[in-house]
Amino acid sequence: MGLDEEALMWVEKYRPKNLDEIVDLHDVVASLKAFLKTPRTMPHLLLAGLPGTGKTTVALCIARQLFGANWKTFTLELNASDERGIDTVRDRIKDFSRYGRTGFGDVPFVLIMLDESDQMTGPAQTALRRIMETSSRTCRFILICNYSGKIIEPIQSRCAIFRFSKLDKKAMVEHLKSIAKKECISLSAEAAESIVEYSEGDLRHAINALQTAAVYRDGVIDEKTVLQVMGEASPRQVQLMLNKALSGDFIEARKLMYDLMGLYGFSGSEIVRQMQRELLKVSYLSPEEKADLTNIVGEYDFRLTQGASNDIQLSALLAQFSKFAKSKGKLGER
Amino acid sequence: MKDNFLWVEKYRPKKIAEVLGNEDAKAAFVDWLKSKRRRKKAVLLYGPPGVGKTALVNAASNEFGFTIIEMNASDTRTEKTIMKIAGPATSFVALDKFSTETKGSLLFLDEVDGVFGKEDRGGIGAIIRTVEESLIPVVMAANDPDLQKLRPLKKVCELIRFRQVRLPLLIAMLKRICSMEHVEAEFEALERIAQNSGGDVRSAINDLQSLAEEERVLRLQDTTRLTPRNRNIGMFETLKGVFSARSLGEAATMLNRSNADHDDLLLSISDNLPLRYEDPVDLSVAYDLVSRADVFRGRIGAENWHLLRYFYNFLAEAATVCPQSYRPFEFIFPPIRIITLFWTKSKRMAVDGICAKIGARCHVSRRTAKQEFLPFVKIVLEKEKSNAIASWLRLNTEEIDYLTKMNKF
Repeated sequence: MGLDEEALMWVEKYRPKNLDEIVDLHDVVASLKAFLKTPRTMPHLLLAGLPGTGKTTVALCIARQLFGANWKTFTLELNASDERGIDTVRDRIKDFSRYGRTGFGDVPFVLIMLDESDQMTGPAQTALRRIMETSSRTCRFILICNYSGKIIEPIQSRCAIFRFSKLDKKAMVEHLKSIAKKECISLSAEAAESIVEYSEGDLRHAINALQTAAVYRDGVIDEKTVLQVMGEASPRQVQLMLNKALSGDFIEARKLMYDLMGLYGFSGSEIVRQMQRELLKVSYLSPEEKADLTNIVGEYDFRLTQGASNDIQLSALLAQFSKFAKSKGKLGER
Repeated sequence: MKDNFLWVEKYRPKKIAEVLGNEDAKAAFVDWLKSKRRRKKAVLLYGPPGVGKTALVNAASNEFGFTIIEMNASDTRTEKTIMKIAGPATSFVALDKFSTETKGSLLFLDEVDGVFGKEDRGGIGAIIRTVEESLIPVVMAANDPDLQKLRPLKKVCELIRFRQVRLPLLIAMLKRICSMEHVEAEFEALERIAQNSGGDVRSAINDLQSLAEEERVLRLQDTTRLTPRNRNIGMFETLKGVFSARSLGEAATMLNRSNADHDDLLLSISDNLPLRYEDPVDLSVAYDLVSRADVFRGRIGAENWHLLRYFYNFLAEAATVCPQSYRPFEFIFPPIRIITLFWTKSKRMAVDGICAKIGARCHVSRRTAKQEFLPFVKIVLEKEKSNAIASWLRLNTEEIDYLTKMNKF
């Protein structure tokens, strides 16, 4: 049965079931609990923050706390990045929001969770705003986004806004250790720290890395394993592409770029973001060189938002890297 | 001294050697014509107009004693007419063999890319049938070999490519005509005519005649009367013209005259840059310019078309970063992006499907699943294919297979 089936991805398995289990985030949890004491007066919520800081988890906890075991019946979970058009708002959200649950205890409304809502188009947000108003007696919204600035003002003003900052590293290390203990794997302190270091405050990333590392060497995780997993888990092509460009082989780098776009369907900005991540890991670059290259990446990241074709901007970026490599003497082969 | 001849006719080459330029193409054609056991019975000469395709066929048959049976675009080419003219000509070869003067006949279909439209329905099919049934060699000429309609022809014939005639050759020939016609011409004026023709011998001679015939003197200022030849310039010609341009102005003119779609142009110029510039510094400068052109393309959107000129300007600049380093190369076309996206569509769909399943299970979007989960899930499955995670994620065997092999090609 879907509900009781034990989750196998650790991110799901160890996702906190109620607000008390949540890692870090004491302020957020405290004020949310205050709301939940009298659910009837709970406002719409806007949860904003970087990936892997617990926004979705908090939202799911709220749903559980409000509706108990049957929470799925009364919750509509939508991902705006998958269904971002105005039609979704019109059809699914409108239908669901119309019928509250009068008669079901002291929570007279249903819950709509809209994940990655900053991906919604402008018209869709405007349509949503209207629905939030008309259905306020029968429905509550939890909007989740990375940047609250991308949500239109009228919606922001209808919500209580919570900001999720990067998680505390110590708390993350502790959390990983407790998971390791439950899974009976040996996790060295350095390994835990290096996972956290790589994950940059993203707990989801950290737990995924932990699980993958556990498979890697039958439940023994040391720092070396972590390095290996981190190396392999970032889409290989991005690393390869970066190295090719930095060794001056533009044509090969461009081929890999088209693979990323064609086979994996990555968009330009996704590739750029990963390049930026990988760039920081490259061992043969000095901090100054990394800074210079980051500047170049930044410029083309901006042009991506202005231009018409991702592949052209990326090609231009790779060409800049090849030139940089030449001026420093083939970097990738150093 | 004025005679009634068009100079183009008067100076039409009588011998193969007199046909200007395109030495490779000429050699290939003569080889094909002379060989007894041809690999393919037909040959398709293709290239821009006025570079000597028809002239070569005429000159060659003259030299080798072939009789030409010709059809060109001005004749309607329905299946019926083609079979009516070409049919008998191709099957009754024997009669000619008694005569010693002729080596045989040659069926020449000029301007085969004119075979379209409603009237010519069935034309291509008839041509292929003619080639297949013909007992005599078939020669065809076309301007644009990439027309969809001509594709079936490529299978049955050998292709010989003609290029624009290089300017020095063209100028030398114009000079020769001038001396024979007793025209006093300034070198710069001839140069202008040659440039303006874009390597089209026929139009160059026509221009020369129209400018110089009356006065028998030709000065540079006379060439201002030249009208720019607005021929249809396809992608290949545009790329060639743009990349070989010696100045920004020349490249810009070429782009202006081009009929190619500007989005295709943007992609194709971008695609071909690494072949054009070997020096990484030149390449990065050129790419930066193309990137800016693309930014302008973004700004144009669907309405601000007046910005198009800046777009073209950046493209022209990108093509002329280092004019002196130009060496001919084979162009990449159609655009890599279009080809890649086409061939990988099913693979992208597969990845998308897997990500949707992960997303449903782990409360994330497909996008997040692709970036944050896929790499880890992939490693886990590579280590242990039968991992329970796969079944929990509801992945089927195909998807598991796909995921674990994804990077290996």
